[in-house]
Amino acid sequence: MTERPRWLHACILLLLAAYALAPVYLVILASFRSEGDLFAAPLSLPFPPDLSHYHKVWIEGGFGRFFLNSLFMSAGSTAIVILLAPAAGFAFAKLEFRGREALFGFFLVGLVVPAPSVIVALYGNLQLVGLIDTQIGVVVPQAALLLPFAIFMMRTVMQDVPNELLEAGKIDGVNAFQAFVRIALPVVRPGLGSLALIVFLFSWQEYLLPLVVIQTETLKPLTVAAATLQGRYGVDYAGIAAAGIIAFTPLVVLFLVMQRTFVRGLTAGAVK
Amino acid sequence: MKQGRAGEHRRLCLIQLKVAKRGDPMHQRSFAPYLFILPAFVLYALFVGLPVAQVFAYSLFAWDSGTIKGFAGLANYVRLFNDRVFWVALGHNAIWVVLTLTFPVAVGLFLAAILADSGPNIRRIASAVYFIPRTIPLVVAGIIWGWIYNPLFGLLNWILRSVGLGRFAGGWLADPDSALLSLNVVGAWTFFGFCVVIYLSAIQSIDPALQESAQVDGASWWQRFTRITTPMLNRTTLFLGLYASIEAMRFFDLVWVTTGGGPGYATEILTTQIYKSFFLVGDFGYASALSVVLLVIVLTIGTSAFLWLRER
Repeated sequence: MTERPRWLHACILLLLAAYALAPVYLVILASFRSEGDLFAAPLSLPFPPDLSHYHKVWIEGGFGRFFLNSLFMSAGSTAIVILLAPAAGFAFAKLEFRGREALFGFFLVGLVVPAPSVIVALYGNLQLVGLIDTQIGVVVPQAALLLPFAIFMMRTVMQDVPNELLEAGKIDGVNAFQAFVRIALPVVRPGLGSLALIVFLFSWQEYLLPLVVIQTETLKPLTVAAATLQGRYGVDYAGIAAAGIIAFTPLVVLFLVMQRTFVRGLTAGAVK
Repeated sequence: MKQGRAGEHRRLCLIQLKVAKRGDPMHQRSFAPYLFILPAFVLYALFVGLPVAQVFAYSLFAWDSGTIKGFAGLANYVRLFNDRVFWVALGHNAIWVVLTLTFPVAVGLFLAAILADSGPNIRRIASAVYFIPRTIPLVVAGIIWGWIYNPLFGLLNWILRSVGLGRFAGGWLADPDSALLSLNVVGAWTFFGFCVVIYLSAIQSIDPALQESAQVDGASWWQRFTRITTPMLNRTTLFLGLYASIEAMRFFDLVWVTTGGGPGYATEILTTQIYKSFFLVGDFGYASALSVVLLVIVLTIGTSAFLWLRER
C-alpha cells in the first residue's frame, strides 16, 4: 500500500462522516439552546443546557402521547409481519406445491408497489369497513405493504435451513407444520430478529399512511405530529428540534445497539 | 460437484421416504403448503392487491368529490397527457433517479472499497455513522434540512457568510432553480450509508486472493478499485440501482414536509401530484390515472431488472 491513498482516504472518510453527522449534531445543540442565544452561533455549545424544550414538547405538546402511539402502531405492524411472513417464507423455500413460482411472483410484485399509488383506493376501503381514523387502519395496511419484503427476506433466510435436519424430522414422523415450528424457526431465530428490527424501523418512519388515515390528534404518531408542529409553531426552533429528537432517537439507539442484526437483515434481502 | 452429490442424496432420501412412509402427513401435501401462505396471502391481497386493481378501474371513471359520475373511458389519461404539471413532475422524478444513481451509489461504492481496506473497528464505526441518517424518518430529515437551508438564519448561509463566501448564500429550497437539487442532497444524505453497508458486505464476500495477487503484481489502489472491485460488484450495483430508481419514483415524505412540491411546481413529483389531486381536489379519477402511471413505471423497472438479474 502506497502512502498517498492512506491520508487521502482518511480525509474522504472524515468528510462524509461530517456530512452524515453535522445535521444531527446541529439539532441536538438546538434542542438544548435557550431562546436567548438561538440565533447567535448555530454551532456553539449551548450553556447552560436548557431542558425546558423537552418538557414543553413532551407534556404540553403531547409528544408523550405521540411516542406511545408510534410505539403501539410500529409494534402492531411488526407483530403481524412476524406472525405471517416466516411461514410463507418457509413454504416458498422448503415445500413443493403447484403454483409456487406464480404465488411468489405475486408477492414479488408488491416489492415495488408505492404506498401513494394505492392510497386512493385504500382510503375508500378503510372508510367502508370503519377503519378510517383508527390506529388499526394504519397498522394492518402497513403490515400488508411490508409483507412482500418480509417474505422475500424470509425465503432467503429459510433456504439456509439444512435439508438434512428437515429430512431427519420427516423420518421421525414430523409433519410440515411441526417441522416449521420445531426445526426451522429455532434455526432462523437471528433472521427473525433482523426482520423484526427492520419492519419496526420502517413502520416507525411511515408518514403518508397515518397522515391520510388518522385525523384525531391524540391518535397520531410522531412523524405526523412532528410535521404538524413545524407548521404550527413556525418559529419555535428549539421545540421542533426537541420533537425531532424524540422522533428519531429510539431508532438511532436501536440501530446502534443491534447494528450486526440489522446489517444481516438488510443484506439478506439484498445480496443474493 | 459437491452440490450435485447432495442433491442426489436428497433425491434418494425422498424416494426412500415415499416408499417407507406412504401415509406420512407431510406427503398428504395437497394443501399444507397453501395453509402456510394463506394468512399472508389474504392480508396482502386485501390491502395491496385489491387496491391496485381498484386504482386501475377508478382511473376509467369521472369522479366528483369521492363519488362516481360516470364512465369516462380514457379521458383521465388524455387529460394527463396534456397536463404540463404531470410532465414536469415526471421530469423531476427522472432527474431524481439520475442524481440518486450517480452521487449516493458511487460514493457508497468508493467508501465501501476504502473501508474494506481498513481495520475492523474503523469499518464498524464508520458504516454505523454513515447509516445513522437512514434511521431518521424522512419527515424529520426534511424538517432538519429545511432549517439548515433557511435563507435568513439557516446554518448553510451562516457558514457561507462566516467564511467569506456570502455571495454564494442563496434561497435554496425557496429558490425554484436550486430547490430540487437542494432536496436531493437530503435524499442522498439518507441513502448513501445504505449503499456503503450493502457494498461492504458484498466486497467482503469477494475472494481476497484476487486483491492480493493484484497487489503483488504492483497494481495501485485505484487500479484495483476500478479493475477488480467495481466489476466484481456488478450485481450489487444493479440491485442498488434498481432500489434507488424505485425509491426515486415513489418517495413522498421528504418533498411534502419541506416544499410541498413548490415553489410553483419546482419540486413537484408524481406522488405529491397524486396526493394533491386526491386530497386537495378530490378528483379520484385523475389521482388514480396518475397512480396507474406510477405503478406501470415501477413495475417496468422492477420486472426488467429482475429478468436481467436472473439472466446473469
